[in-house]
Amino acid sequence: MTPAPSRRGVLALTAALAALPTFTATAAPRRPADAPALDADPRHRLRWQAPADEHSMIEQGLPVGNGRLGALASNDPGREVLLVTDATLWTGGLNDTLDADGQFPYGRQDFGSFTLLARLTVDIPDHDLSAVSGYRRTLDLAQGVNETSYVRSGVTYRRQIFASRPDDVIVLHFDQSGEGRYTGSITLEGTHGEEPAVSFGAALPNGLRYGAAIAAYGSGGSVTVEGTHIGFTGCRELTVVLSGGTNYTPDAAAHFRDPSLDPQQLARTKVRTAARHSANTLLRTHTADHHALFGQWDVSLGTSSAEQRSLDTWERLRARARDGVPDPELEAQYLQFGRYLMIAGSRGSLPLGLQGLWLDGNDPDWMGDYHTDINIQMNYWAADRTGLPQCFDTLTDYCVAQLPSWTDLTRRLFNDPRNRYRNSTGKNAGWTVAISTNPFGGGGWWWHPAGNAWLCNSLWEHYEFTASRTHLEKIYPLLKGACEFWEARLLTTTLPGISREVLIADSDWSPEHGPLDAKGITYAQELVWTLFGNYCAAAAELRKDAEFAATIAGLRKRLHLPQVSPTTGWLEEWMSPDNLGETTHRHLSPLVGLFPGDRIRPDGSTPADIVEGATALLTARGMESFGWANAWRGLCWARLKNADKAYQLVVNNLRPSTGGSNGTAFNLFDIYQVEQGRGIFQIDANLGTPAAMIEMLLYSRPGHLELLPALPDAWAASGSLTGAHARGGFVVDLRWRDGKPTEARIRSAGGRTTTVAYAGSSRTVTLKPGATVTLKGFDR
Amino acid sequence: MRSSSYFALPARALLVLALTAVAVPTAHAADAPAPSLAAKPYMGWSSWSMQSSKYPGLNPDGDYSYLTEANVLKQTDAMAAKLKKYGYEYVNIDAGWWMDKAWKSGFDQYGRQKPDPVRFPHGMKAVADRIHAKGLKAGIYLPAGLEKGAYGDGKTPIWNADGCTTADVVYDDLRTTNGWDSAYKLDFAKPCTSKYIDSQAQLIAGWGYDFLKLDGVGPGSGKSGDQYDNVADVAAWNRAITGTGRTVHLELSWSLDIGHAADWKKYSQGWRVDTDVECYCNTLVSWENSVDDRWDDTPAWTRHAGPGGWNDLDSLDVGNGQMDGLTKAERQSYATLWAIAKSPLYTGDDLTRLDSYGLSLLTNREVIGLNQGPNPPAHPVTPSDPQQVWAAKNPDGTYTVALFNLADAPAAVTADWATLGFTGKASVRDLWNHENLGTYKNTVTQALPAHGSRLFTVAPHGTALAFAGYEAESSANTLGGNASVADCSACSDGKKVGNLYLGGTLTFRDVVVAKAGTYQIKVSYISGDARSVDVSANGGGATRHKLPATGDWGTVSSVYVPVTLKAGANTITFDSGSGYAPDIDRIDVPKS
Repeated sequence: MTPAPSRRGVLALTAALAALPTFTATAAPRRPADAPALDADPRHRLRWQAPADEHSMIEQGLPVGNGRLGALASNDPGREVLLVTDATLWTGGLNDTLDADGQFPYGRQDFGSFTLLARLTVDIPDHDLSAVSGYRRTLDLAQGVNETSYVRSGVTYRRQIFASRPDDVIVLHFDQSGEGRYTGSITLEGTHGEEPAVSFGAALPNGLRYGAAIAAYGSGGSVTVEGTHIGFTGCRELTVVLSGGTNYTPDAAAHFRDPSLDPQQLARTKVRTAARHSANTLLRTHTADHHALFGQWDVSLGTSSAEQRSLDTWERLRARARDGVPDPELEAQYLQFGRYLMIAGSRGSLPLGLQGLWLDGNDPDWMGDYHTDINIQMNYWAADRTGLPQCFDTLTDYCVAQLPSWTDLTRRLFNDPRNRYRNSTGKNAGWTVAISTNPFGGGGWWWHPAGNAWLCNSLWEHYEFTASRTHLEKIYPLLKGACEFWEARLLTTTLPGISREVLIADSDWSPEHGPLDAKGITYAQELVWTLFGNYCAAAAELRKDAEFAATIAGLRKRLHLPQVSPTTGWLEEWMSPDNLGETTHRHLSPLVGLFPGDRIRPDGSTPADIVEGATALLTARGMESFGWANAWRGLCWARLKNADKAYQLVVNNLRPSTGGSNGTAFNLFDIYQVEQGRGIFQIDANLGTPAAMIEMLLYSRPGHLELLPALPDAWAASGSLTGAHARGGFVVDLRWRDGKPTEARIRSAGGRTTTVAYAGSSRTVTLKPGATVTLKGFDR
Repeated sequence: MRSSSYFALPARALLVLALTAVAVPTAHAADAPAPSLAAKPYMGWSSWSMQSSKYPGLNPDGDYSYLTEANVLKQTDAMAAKLKKYGYEYVNIDAGWWMDKAWKSGFDQYGRQKPDPVRFPHGMKAVADRIHAKGLKAGIYLPAGLEKGAYGDGKTPIWNADGCTTADVVYDDLRTTNGWDSAYKLDFAKPCTSKYIDSQAQLIAGWGYDFLKLDGVGPGSGKSGDQYDNVADVAAWNRAITGTGRTVHLELSWSLDIGHAADWKKYSQGWRVDTDVECYCNTLVSWENSVDDRWDDTPAWTRHAGPGGWNDLDSLDVGNGQMDGLTKAERQSYATLWAIAKSPLYTGDDLTRLDSYGLSLLTNREVIGLNQGPNPPAHPVTPSDPQQVWAAKNPDGTYTVALFNLADAPAAVTADWATLGFTGKASVRDLWNHENLGTYKNTVTQALPAHGSRLFTVAPHGTALAFAGYEAESSANTLGGNASVADCSACSDGKKVGNLYLGGTLTFRDVVVAKAGTYQIKVSYISGDARSVDVSANGGGATRHKLPATGDWGTVSSVYVPVTLKAGANTITFDSGSGYAPDIDRIDVPKS
């Protein structure tokens, strides 16, 4: 430490001081001056002909969100129900104990659970669904607006629901075409035992304060607070504004609370402030904000038939599965829906957990938590690939904010004798995480030694995509601490037939599969190998810690890397030739070097037997699993340039889910079948499947781009990709026709030199930051 | 309601429509003389729903204790005041009028049911008189057979039958009968037996009753076999009623055997096609137990309904949401099915406590008009999903079209005009909401709540749809597994393909359409019980369709299923999968 802070140090200090609560007062939003209303682009409009059942909201409710504050909307004409969430409303706490068997407690009070903030109901008794005709509802992915319309006695009624980030409120706007009137009532209720009220505030047993408030205004009638709810009578138009949040603050030193923040008061201020503006002004402000992100990127996978276009979204999904006929526009919509969820669910607050920002109760399976052994990583594979690098920041900020606590827990509890994964070296340093993590610095379930490496590798990849030095500086302490952890943990061993010593990971569990205690699991070896490489590159880039980086580089050279089993022909998972688990297990942990890792490449640079062993293992794992597991398989097949299999896995995830089966629900949420007849929402497949779709169109690593590496026949006729970030710091616009690229525009976002390859031939491009080159003639 | 311009089809098209749209029941021939009884499904009230419920306060003196003179008269007054002007007419006393509050039976000196003096202190005639005084009709109830308590060691004399005693009307082995085995089976080979029925008929006619529900009748009521065959009882009742000189409507209960439909039609004016609609729980009914069964169980009976005798779906308990135990959507669907199936419309609700929505359901003149008018009963045309469409072709050329969503969540339901036999435009009137919705081209789609419905009258303005028929037995088709061609007198060209089970397949070849698209193909089939079949085109993904029972293995019925075809020649496959599929007579595919 230098006594006088360097400029960089000042910046870091400023960042630390600026650890504001996620629900916080914000400056008056910039209003787009006379911004014309965006035209609805039918490509980006999902359409349904029935509302949600309020008891099946997770499959049928439509999601809105401003990155922090979200809701599922039922869109029932007579009874609009919104299940409202704030990403930070978590029970539980630091949870810094281990059970006798070495696991962190994993209950809703100790580890904690993501929970609902409120339930908002707008009752309009005269608009019972059985009494209206021409019902439809849409979700405009480009504008971020959920719209419902129907006819009652000749009058067309319309309602729009959106979650505005600039105004930090959810808005419901009701209008109609003629002489229609709205009469009914608005009810806001908490979900933790609060009585209905126009605003409420309370604290959870863990001390986290939360609150919510509504305001309503109309025209042509009356809107009045009637005790615990708001009544409206004879309104030509009605606007309802809702805000709410918690006093969560991403600061471990403050125990993740800001005691000075009164969420109820802040929510009241926010709704009062927003209610000074017309619904139209709020809408324009919101759509400009949403579209600024959504419009950064685009894809076309081809043209659908008129008959396909005539169907609503659910009918299209059913027809796609029934007829087996590709529906390229639907498939692109599914991809864009994933981007929509990212924009709506991952800005300015906590990152997306197992269910993202959306719940239908206070008892989500696995707490709706952060699973660090695939799910949270998968949630962010699409962010850069689909032109939403800003949405990645919640993951970065989360890891940075949790790091002091993760470090402390590692120091105190990792080498605890109850932890079966403790370091047999007796040494302990740096940090790692449990399989599950919460937002209070705590872990759940088993310790997960390699979890630190996987998180760091994800954070590093974002740097590769964006070339953002600011980001690199933020994540550097995480990478360094993870390396310190592994320096203390790695064991030296000698393998039969090899004279030199190698380093292997201590006892560990290849995620959720096979023996609980295996040394040198492929999962850890691959992740740590990548971590070490990334760290050395980071240290070099930042000109930091040269001596430590040299040590890490030395360790990396000595790391054992997996072999192919002579028994199964598969890449080994446990340093054993035997299959010690389930052949079709959902996790692909031993293939983490194929994807998201980049060590195993089918381009001749990797020994052929390793590629074959990885391919054989992937083949054995099969094509039928849970949504996220199919998405991962699809990404691996894309890396192996097998377009048919990669595409089939996308198609498998698009199957309509019925009765809780794996597949896509009515509202396009991915459903994970927990048991026969019961499925739950898990957002990872909604984000992992889009990542697989992009990986089929564009492969990148620093210094190398490959166009259309696994283009399926279904999309081959024509298509385009616009604004795709590529590793190495480039942004790519790509067009293709008849299965071949016709044009590729490469813009440098900080990257300098890259090869651009297609079908075995490649050319080299060198660009200054910001410069663009257009490449053609791939079909010659 | 309908102006003459409502129906504007060219005459030629109309003819084709009538020929092709055979899946939709059409009006009965108008030249048959109107029967004197049950020319229309009867309307009224029955006491059983409230008797059978554990709803708080209904039965304070024990199970079924609701049934008293005071309560019956209270309901009579309420019906006269609120419902009579809409056609509700019968006040029906159900089981228990001769039982005390401990459900112990009382009999007169002739072994006939004797009114319980606590429930009916002024006797049964006094109640009938009071009902008649309101301009309404009175109904009463008896079980089939000689109740065990009436036997009296066999020595109880039979009224107006010299020398006959109860031992002379039953089998010597005292075999039991009816749905509860609560009675000895009557032996109609014995000359005294019909006199016992006569004595009961004289009793209720003498009291002035206009309606008798005969309950526990078999085959049916959960029983089969000779011991439970009460056809002779029903025939005797028919004769006995005639013998009284009084007009008495005879209604049979419950779950009557469809194999004896001809007997029920010959001797009675209505027959319960299903088990009790009541749930015997804290409400009067519940959706799952067993309102929703009626969508599956009614179709096989549809063709048996008509003037003189109707398919009775049991009480229509839609008048008070809280007591009924149903959502508004469920109540509307319940009333819709009863109306379009031409079921008698008798409610079991507390008529003194109808809520406004319940009153609107029970008194919708357009819906009552469908049930009571010349329209034939509707039949399912697309029944294989929870989203169903039922339809009937009306004598005036319009169609009654009901949309149902039997799923537990809201869903869109589409009626495709092709399933009615035409294409193009049609105007749609919403009967429940008394609203003209306008003109719809080719289809109408509406969002329906869970267990919800819509009821429309559709007036076609389009053109008749031409179909091309393909016989299942055609040598051009391919049969797989055990599937085989069989004779079938009811089938077109006298043959069908059967034995579609455990992997049996039938593939139609060279099904030609001009344009690619999804077509509603009409499937004519035979299926004694409800069975499923997987239907696919051109080797693509199959969709499983559950087809309603046709009631026996000699009756052809038809439904529509959607199939996606390409332009030119297609194959369409019916695959039993791992189960048992219906026999297939033919398919008809729209040419455009």
